[in-house]
Amino acid sequence: MATALSELDWFGEDVCLADVDTALARLRAQAAAEAASMRTSVMTHLAWVPHGWREQARSTLEGMAELHPSRTILLFPEPNADDNRIDARAEVERWEVPDTDRGLVTEVVELTLRGARAKAPASIVEPLLISDLPVFLRWRGEPPWGAPELEQLVGVADRLIVDSTEWDDIPAAYGRLAELFPLCAASDIAWARTSRWRSHLATLWPALADVRTVRVRGTAAQAWLLCGWLRSRLGRDEISVEHDPAEKLESVELDGEAVPLPPGDPPAPSDVLSDELEHFTPDPVYEAAVLAAVG
Amino acid sequence: MTATAPKQQENPLAEGLALRRTPDPCALVIFGASGDLTHKKLMPALYALAVRRLLPQRFAIVGVARTDGDDDSFRQDMEAAVKQHARDPFKQETWDELAPQLHYVSTDFADASGEDKVHDLLGKLDEDEELGGNRVFYLAVPPPAFPTIVEALGKRRDDRGWTRLVVEKPFGHDLASAQQLTATLLEYFKEEEIFRIDHYLGKETVQNMLALRFANGIFEPIWNRQFVDHVQITVAESIGIEARAGYYEHAGAIRDIFQNHLLQLLALTAMEPPIDFTSDSVHNEKVKVLRALHTPGPKSVVRGQYGRGFVEGEEVVAYREEAGVAAESMTETYVAAKLYVDNWRWADTPFYVRMGKRLARHETTIAIQFKEAPHPPFEESAAEGLRPNVLVVHVQPDEGVSLAIGAKVPGQGMTIRTVHMDFLYGGAFRTGMPEAYERLILDTMLGDSTLFTRADEVEQQWLLVDAIVASWQRDKPAFPNYPSGTWGPPSADELLHRDGRSWRRH
Repeated sequence: MATALSELDWFGEDVCLADVDTALARLRAQAAAEAASMRTSVMTHLAWVPHGWREQARSTLEGMAELHPSRTILLFPEPNADDNRIDARAEVERWEVPDTDRGLVTEVVELTLRGARAKAPASIVEPLLISDLPVFLRWRGEPPWGAPELEQLVGVADRLIVDSTEWDDIPAAYGRLAELFPLCAASDIAWARTSRWRSHLATLWPALADVRTVRVRGTAAQAWLLCGWLRSRLGRDEISVEHDPAEKLESVELDGEAVPLPPGDPPAPSDVLSDELEHFTPDPVYEAAVLAAVG
Repeated sequence: MTATAPKQQENPLAEGLALRRTPDPCALVIFGASGDLTHKKLMPALYALAVRRLLPQRFAIVGVARTDGDDDSFRQDMEAAVKQHARDPFKQETWDELAPQLHYVSTDFADASGEDKVHDLLGKLDEDEELGGNRVFYLAVPPPAFPTIVEALGKRRDDRGWTRLVVEKPFGHDLASAQQLTATLLEYFKEEEIFRIDHYLGKETVQNMLALRFANGIFEPIWNRQFVDHVQITVAESIGIEARAGYYEHAGAIRDIFQNHLLQLLALTAMEPPIDFTSDSVHNEKVKVLRALHTPGPKSVVRGQYGRGFVEGEEVVAYREEAGVAAESMTETYVAAKLYVDNWRWADTPFYVRMGKRLARHETTIAIQFKEAPHPPFEESAAEGLRPNVLVVHVQPDEGVSLAIGAKVPGQGMTIRTVHMDFLYGGAFRTGMPEAYERLILDTMLGDSTLFTRADEVEQQWLLVDAIVASWQRDKPAFPNYPSGTWGPPSADELLHRDGRSWRRH
């Protein structure tokens, strides 16, 4: 993973978005003064990061700028704060273009939305989105289904990226997620982490065509998504799931028979997210698996 | 040594020297010196010019307003304005040089003795500062005050030096009033002495549109109907009408923005290359575009008015709830239109334009969307992230140019996605970006009207606006029809959807 050649940042309390724009322009100018550099962007990456998820959100970003040069906007909602204001941190990172003396710059904006300012987040991010490019919305934790902030941000996003491993209410929550499918394409990091296993299970066709029970040692999300996938692909809603809790996907049994481990190592969290940022259109296989998991 | 050099010979010593454009000695007289424009724009711009030593060495600024005051109080007031609004850090030594050049006359121009006070002061400054009778009169006052001031100035004109008259928009309320205003001005001033300010034209990016088009061989050959699918021009403001209800209720978006800024941006985008960069050549080409604009039918124009909503996370009131606005006001705060430039270059190429208040963001852009590649030889899945090429000129904020191109994602396989490459002026040159008023005030003193609006341009703009407004008399839309903080009414989206297109995102 490459490291940023330089990081220039700015912080402001109780700001308006014009302040953020001005700061970004100044930081870009500073970066350009150090060496020739150009802002390149393929998307706006938006993340809704409730209290408790900040460090994970920041660490996941590391390494992403190489493949997905973008403007990243991290929203830290603090609806219960005593005052109504926006605090902002803007950062411009300058990356080396290999074998040249040029660089490219990417931008990270962190907005802390205090008090009532957390109620209408779309009106806050809209001025900062990069025009004409897709918007990926990463939602940490379980989304507050039906809440205005979720509906507003889904309204400006092209793709919602969740990690259902972070949810408590599974599989019922998948039903709420499915309600968003007509509005916005969805990706699920938990689903992406089952990718190696799904590829491997697919090699067992047609022997698994009549499977009745799938037993998964992993997260609940992985168990239900694998079951939903088998149900939807095989057209058999009666397939049942048994779940042994574990922090990651360790084993799969079909009708009591262990499936050999798939080859290779599980991908790093940032790689999983990175892969999801390559996709722009709905994933019908995932959507069908989610609907089948709900039953 | 004998002094026998011919009078008209060019200065032989200037050859090879990069002489800076420095205006002749002159007096700049600002009518409306106690107003917002003077505080927020004019004085900060004059200070910026002083910092860069672009003002004439012999120079005077005369503020004229009804507010009581004298030279000292005016200087203090302007110092505070510079500290608050100038783009440069305040430098005491610069201010100490500039401040003595500031003078103030408290008068109501309807009063004949007030006219004499200004005239007498200018005469005295001519003698003391050797200004040669050169004058710039800047009318930073509401339009109803124009005739009185213009007449008073005109009657006191003499033959010494040059005179320039700067007029702020609005240049009339419709074609008839614009023609009346022009007639009033021409009674005492020649057209080449009249500088109609549209401050958008002073913005670096707008000027850069001309550089982009006419200094680069790669763009002009594809700047036409063969390669351009359509053009979108957006002038979006996130603010409401602030304290301007009195003006805005009568003007609306179509007179406030469409008639001037927006049509000027369109003209610069669509115009043919001028034969040179002189004022007349540029104006002539812009007028040709304005004359070629096809009057849009009712279905090609959408108007809107903002309701309540959220901007930057804060709830804001509806237009009809703003102070000074009628509860049933039918004034439009948003206009979108599909326009055609009926000429060889642009026939059948739509120019979609939109402008409004309380929109989702503050942004002025000109986007040239090119036609899609005729036959991309890639699998559909490889190019799912690919969008048409768009060249975007960002007028404000983030002045610069972006090009959206399809590029292969590094790594295995062939995945193509759209990449934005941004040429942001702030990051390209280390010098700060001048404010529009700096350039325009300097150009006025230099007598260069290229970036100003000529009378025939104004009239062509009103011809189009009058035709649109006339068609509005026949219907009464259900206002408000868009929430604050959004991109306007749904009917504006339908305007493009009917053509299989959509507004640029965000």
